[in-house]
This record gives sequence, C-alpha cells and structure tokens, in this order.
Amino acid sequence: MADLRRGEPRELAMVAASQAVPQGLPGIRPVALSFDGVTHRYGQRTALDQLQLEVTQGQVVALLGPNGAGKSTTISILLGLVRPREGRVEVLGSDPRRAVADGRVGAMLQAGSGVGLPPGVRVAQVLGLVRRLYRRPAPLEWIVERADIGPLLRRRTDRLSGGQAQRVRFAIAIAGGPDILFLDEPTSAMDVESRRGFWTMMRTFGDEGRTVVLATHHLAEADQIADRVIVLNRGRLVADGPSATLKAAVATRRVRFVTDHPDATGLSRLTGVTDVTVCGTGVSLDSLDADATIRDLVAREVHFRDLEVTGAGLEQAFVAVTGCGVAAPPTGGAAAGGAAAGGGG
Amino acid sequence: MSLHLVGEPPADAPAAGLVPVGLPVDQPAGRDGAEAGDARRGRLAPLWAFASFEVGRLVRSWKFLAITVGFPVVFYLLFLSDHTAGRIIDGTVAWRVYLMVSMCSFGSLVAALNAGGTRLSMERASGWARQLRVTPLPAWSYVTTKIVASMLVTLPVIALVEVVGAGFGGVRLSAPEWVGLTALLWATSLPFAVLGVFVGFLVATDAAFPVVTGLMFVLGYFGGLFTPVGFMPRALQIVARALPSYHNEALALAALDGRTLDASHWLVLGAYVAVLGVGIAWKHRVEEARGIA
Repeated sequence: MADLRRGEPRELAMVAASQAVPQGLPGIRPVALSFDGVTHRYGQRTALDQLQLEVTQGQVVALLGPNGAGKSTTISILLGLVRPREGRVEVLGSDPRRAVADGRVGAMLQAGSGVGLPPGVRVAQVLGLVRRLYRRPAPLEWIVERADIGPLLRRRTDRLSGGQAQRVRFAIAIAGGPDILFLDEPTSAMDVESRRGFWTMMRTFGDEGRTVVLATHHLAEADQIADRVIVLNRGRLVADGPSATLKAAVATRRVRFVTDHPDATGLSRLTGVTDVTVCGTGVSLDSLDADATIRDLVAREVHFRDLEVTGAGLEQAFVAVTGCGVAAPPTGGAAAGGAAAGGGG
Repeated sequence: MSLHLVGEPPADAPAAGLVPVGLPVDQPAGRDGAEAGDARRGRLAPLWAFASFEVGRLVRSWKFLAITVGFPVVFYLLFLSDHTAGRIIDGTVAWRVYLMVSMCSFGSLVAALNAGGTRLSMERASGWARQLRVTPLPAWSYVTTKIVASMLVTLPVIALVEVVGAGFGGVRLSAPEWVGLTALLWATSLPFAVLGVFVGFLVATDAAFPVVTGLMFVLGYFGGLFTPVGFMPRALQIVARALPSYHNEALALAALDGRTLDASHWLVLGAYVAVLGVGIAWKHRVEEARGIA
C-alpha cells in the first residue's frame, strides 16, 4: 500500500526498492527508517557498533536496553542531532535532517533539568508556536485530544506537574502530525497512573498506522506498546522480534537449588524446564512454569535445599533472549538478588 | 526461543494489513491547495513565529521588564541634579546628555544580558532548545533569533530612556539627532546581544546569574557608563577602551559632539561580535559532536 499522505514519485521508487528485498511480508511496506552499518563513538566509548536495522512504516517499535545501551544515540542519529562516524542512516527515504526539516518526524526527547518547556508562557502559546513551525501542522483539536491536554491549555508551563508536562511535551511532539514519532524514555519520571495513560496515548497513535519508535528500559512498557522489540546492549543489536516472543522469554523463571547428586538428564525432564545448568552440587533450571517444576521436584523426591526462584526482569530477559551474560551458577547458599521463593507442595 | 538473533532475517513484523498512514481526522484534504499556501508563507514563517514568541515572552516577564527598564531610568533620575545637569563633560556634551546616553547604553546592556544569560542557560539545560532542533525550525535560527529578540527588546529600552531624558532631564535635540542617536545606540548594542547569548550558551545555569551580574557591573562601571572615562585614572581608561560598553557610548557621544566617528570604535565592537560569535559556534559544534545539542 502506497503512502497515502505523501505520494511523491521518489517515495514510490523507494517503495519499489524495498519490495525487491524479500522480507516475507505481504504487500508493499515503505521503509520508515534504516541503519546500515552505523557506528558511533563519543571519544573512546563506542555508543553504537555496526548497527543494522530497518523499520517499516506503521510499526510500533520499542528500543529496549539498559542505560548506556545506545538507545538515545540511536534516536539522536535518527533525528539528525548526531552524525554517525560510519554508516548510512535514512529516515523516510532521505537524510534524517531532511525529514526533520520537512516536518515529517516528531520527537519527545529526554527532558534535562526542569520540564523541558519554556517558562513563563501558557501551554497554548507553546503549542501555538510549535504548530507555526510546521508547514502543515496537525489540527489543534486533534493534538489536544490525542495528548489529553484540554484542561492544561490555559495553564502556565512552569506550573505543571511532571505527568502533565510530559503530556504537553507529547502534544509538542505530535504537533506536526508526524509520520514517525520518536520517544526517548517518555515515562521515566511518571507515576504508575500517568504511565498507563501515556501508554494508551502512544498506542492510539501507533494504531493509526504511523511509525512509533520508543526507547525505554522498562520491559513492561515495551511489552504494552510495541509490536516489535529491538534489544540493544552496549551499542549492539542483540535481539529483534515481536513483543510476544520477548514476553515468553521473560516468562521464564530461574529455579536454583543445591542437591547432593544432581542428575542433569533427569532434571531436564522436569515439567516446564527448558534449560539445565549443573555446577558441582549447584543446579540452575530455566523453567516456563516454576510452580510446576517445583511440584515435580518434590514428586520425584529430589532432595533439594537453598531453593531460590528468580523472576522476570530485564536482565533475565536479556539472558533468555541472547543466551549470553549468564552469571556463574550458584553454589552452596549463594543467593544473587533472588525474588520470591516458590513453595513446593 | 523464537526471537531471532542478529544476523537472522527478520521473521517478525505484524502481518496485519497496513493501515494507511492516518491523516489527522479533520486535516484539509486538498493537499495541492495547501502547497500553494505554504509557498506563499515562505521559508521565513517559522523564524517569524519563533521571534515573535520570544519577544512576547520577554515583554510578558515583569521581572525582566523591572530590571531592564527600572535600572537605567531610576539611575538617570538619581544621578541627575539641577546643579550638575548643565556641566560640560565631553567636548560640548553636557552631563544631562552624557547621562542619558550612558543610561541608554546601560539599559541596552542590561536588557541584552538578561534576555540571553540566565534565561537562555536554563532553557538550554531544560531540553527546550533541543526540542526546537527537532522541529522544522532551521538549526542556525535558534541562535540568530535569540540575538534578534534581544535586539528587539533593547530598542524600546533605549527609546524609553531618551523619553525620560527629554521629559525630565531637559535634553533638547533636533529630530534627526534623536533618530540618529537612537539608531547608533541600537546598532552598537549588537555586541551586548551576542554577549548575552554567549553567556547563555557557555555558562552553566547556576553560574549564569553571577556572571551576568558581574558583567553588568564590569561593563557598566569600567566602561565609563557611570563615570565619564575622562574622569577615570589612566589605568582604568585603558581598561575602558577594551570594553564594548565604552565604544557603544563613545560613538554616540562623538556623534552628538559633531566629531567624526572613529573607526577604532567600530573595530572593537566588530571584534567582540566576531569573537563571541565564534565562541557560540564552537560550543554548538562540541555539543553536536557529543550528541547533546
């Protein structure tokens, strides 16, 4: 399906080009953004390492990773704020700066000190300014409704709560009616309530067929919003897939205990177990259903002690997804930040 | 594990039929009509929008107005007394005229330093400046608009001090003299505007206020805006000649005195604009390289 908003010939050519690359996708999906061998360094530190990435239009993508993974650098590059040292980046088929100048992208960046809005003016004035910066701004009512800022329009920007300020910043980000919306850790300073409301906003925006790229280190956020999750770590793309798959990976629990004569083969047959690591008397099981695994352990009369079940966490998700960075299996009573201990019964 | 790792072809992407990129519901459908309108609005529309927003913000800020308008006017009235007003200070220029000119200089200095300075430093730290960089507002226009906005607020300050000079100080000039004086004082306040933006760009937020206050004092006092340079010790006169505030005032006084406008004044003022401008550009580049611009 051609981009109905801006059917320029150059784009059609680009669409055709992307069609030539077999992607196993039905129909024609224009490329929203692409990274080709992109490397960027800040001094000695490598922020992005040979990043290869393509996002088609209409996807809601989460860039997930711990702090320092390269998420903000990725977004800065996509917005033309940073020029990468190596590689090629295209946004909507052109240079990122071109896309920004054409008003086709919107962004909500991390706020510095304060709320990231100019003080001493009313919300409506800031929004008015930003709309006037675009040649084809989105209608005011549409922005107000999408960002849920109706009651805030008359308020002064320096008298907003954190959550309200973020909604105003979201309104600013969508003021140009962008084809691609970039959000860099938008909910980091929000309480649970505001965060949920914000998720709905982002989701609604994505449901219109626009592209959304969200950088976050909250797994739940990526899970709630994105169709596709891209996991970055130390500037490298470590995993890429639909969020449902990541969710399954995260559903994995790690069951650890100590037993005198561990039998790896026997343990691997326990209910729910997907992986077994044995180190001396220490056993570490990855299980999709920790409760069932433990019931099975008891039923098979495995004499375990120092039982520990660690739950879902981004760290574990990374481990599950990438199969790397696994900490040494615990021996004896070594407990490394265990969460709830599952009861056997 | 079905999540594919790097190197494998993407196996994902929601297969659901692509929804056409959503038009905001009530956006005008007639694209061609819109294009024609855009062409008429021209490239400068975002610039104009931003400049008027900035000036509006400055004018609505009572703190800003109190400082920029209050200081020079109050000082003028304080320093003017009946028995000194007519004393000749510089060539044929009397104290009442000298004081009006120097308070115009001081007013534009204070206005420009406060328009940039702390406000700009805070604004940049807050991320608002960065937010504007991801709109179609051209990258260079942030700095230029800040300078232009400063210049736009210095003009009314100069005019106001002149009105007070004429009304309360008994300054009598011909119409061309008033216009020429205003134009000259205004044009030569450009280094102040650039200096304000320079401070906002290069000084951290918590240091910006003391720096602005310090500059107001140094440029005001040592530039000869409170004491005529001719009355200063020789060493301080040398210092004064290195400051833009001195040259800003000296040009206006020379014009009123009917002397030729010495090129050295213009050179020093131009050098300030150039050096400070390079400083801003340098800072901009550093931030860009670090990805924090």
